Amino acid sequence: MSTNVTKRDAELPDLVIRREFEVSDLEQAQTGEVAIKLSWMERIWNVDAVRKLVILLSLVAVWQAYTVGFDVEPLMLPSFSDSFVTLYNALFHGDLIYKIWFSIKVLIVGYSAGLFLAAVLILWATASRFGSDFIAMATAMFNPLPAIALLPLAMLWFGLGTASLVFVLIHSVLWAVALSTHSGFEGVSQTLRMIGRNYGLHGFGYVWKILVPAALPSILAGMKIGWAFAWRTLIGAELVFGASSGSGGLGWYIFESSQNIETDGVFAGLFMVILIGFVVENVVFRNVETRTVIRWGMQR
Amino acid sequence: MTSAPAIQLRPEFEADEIGKAATGDVARKLTLWERITDMNSVRKLTILVIVLAVWELYARWSEVSELILPKFSKTAEALLDGVFNEQLLIMVWNSLTVLVAGYFIGLLIATLLTTAATMTRFGSDILSTLTAMLNPLPAIALLPLALLWFGLGADAIIFTLLHSVIWPVALNAHVGFMSVSETQRMVGRNYGLRGLFYVGKLLIPAAFPQILMGMKIGWSYAWRTLIAAELVFGGSISDTSEGASGGLGWFIFANQMDLRIAHVFAGLFAVILVGVLVENIVFNKIENRTIRRWGMQS
Repeated sequence: MSTNVTKRDAELPDLVIRREFEVSDLEQAQTGEVAIKLSWMERIWNVDAVRKLVILLSLVAVWQAYTVGFDVEPLMLPSFSDSFVTLYNALFHGDLIYKIWFSIKVLIVGYSAGLFLAAVLILWATASRFGSDFIAMATAMFNPLPAIALLPLAMLWFGLGTASLVFVLIHSVLWAVALSTHSGFEGVSQTLRMIGRNYGLHGFGYVWKILVPAALPSILAGMKIGWAFAWRTLIGAELVFGASSGSGGLGWYIFESSQNIETDGVFAGLFMVILIGFVVENVVFRNVETRTVIRWGMQR
Repeated sequence: MTSAPAIQLRPEFEADEIGKAATGDVARKLTLWERITDMNSVRKLTILVIVLAVWELYARWSEVSELILPKFSKTAEALLDGVFNEQLLIMVWNSLTVLVAGYFIGLLIATLLTTAATMTRFGSDILSTLTAMLNPLPAIALLPLALLWFGLGADAIIFTLLHSVIWPVALNAHVGFMSVSETQRMVGRNYGLRGLFYVGKLLIPAAFPQILMGMKIGWSYAWRTLIAAELVFGGSISDTSEGASGGLGWFIFANQMDLRIAHVFAGLFAVILVGVLVENIVFNKIENRTIRRWGMQS
């Protein structure tokens, strides 16, 4: 140890004493321009929507240039313009719009039925400890079970057609919503609960006027997850047997196109899937959020 | 005014005898029965047993066809049969290896994307445009394309898994990074943290609850996508040539095709079991060791 220290001491360089000095000539301090006017270019570039649109357009341009410039086999990767034309034709001259409507109809039925069942279960869970235990048990078991795995059974029980699709959709929505609503209710603070009791709220009124508003952020989060699961499940399920009930849905359109190796049709279907998902997530749910939890200051 | 009732004067009175105040037992000893039913695990186990018993009795007495609803005992037998005679464990293992590969590559890509997004405004714009577009796109819808590009096999599944993991993880991590408080950011700057260190030592711990949430969502999407991919494209995508045994989804699909419904239920049990293990043990452990220990989540 001591040898170490001496060794290090030996290696230390001599102290250098710097001469004192005065700077003869300090220039005036400069802070640059504190408030410059932004040029037109900068102001336009600062708009979020413009930047995002530019990114989107350049992605499309790269895709188009790659497919045209390198002469990519259209069966593997069709150009953007081809896909777009196919989409346009399928929408306005084909029956894609009916297929989309078919999918959305099934989705809405399944989603609302799932929400309703979740509400019933949750009411039961708030009313009794047995119900609460049951919910905890059932969600822990069924939430990790992908709804699509039930499809073979559903087809056996309800036959080919809309009924089994709805069954699978209910399964995908119910547990996600019940789980997050239940944990949201349990997280409602004791103060809020006692205020409710003080006002003499009981049973249904207590749930509706205290628990639901207080737990709305978690409920909405559950509904969003439930929607995402349902949308994924629906497209997945339609890939299997959408055609059996006559018209078929959006997922079936994609599957059919890929079976016929019409890759531009696959891309057209994907465009529509993206569009619908985008609208639901960023328009529908966003609107609900701004009108409730954001307006009430519960979420930024 | 005239309708106001006349004021009534009640005669004063004294109650003869007020009983002694009684508050009942404040600290009563609970009976054994009450103490047992207060245990969470006991109650939940009872519910499970009741549900299973109802199932068994219903299937026995209502004479439902075995093809519609097999008895619970048959299902349990099928599960054992699957484990010991039909390589069910190997199938689970096959599914899990694909899943883990896709999941971790996805996490890596998401990390790169998010890091780029925190460094520059342009990166952040790219990330938010891509996630807004691709997050609502179910990964399974890409499977037909993946099959075309990568051929049948694990590559195509991994491609779809990547897609199902990257966007939710990147989205949540980015939102988490954005909402790290200004105070913490300034503390980091004060310590002279920059670039990667700033992300690794400051942003990631501060946004860990959201990152973990994104990882959980990504896991559940990936798990759903994997099962769906194996189910939908059945034998064509799993390697089921002799020796190889395919994945868990394939087990369900093949048994459904053979109308061995008890085995289908057994496969579903296996799916539930894996899901419960990952969500309640793996993620719970991570939560306990990080955000709960740091006091960020109760």
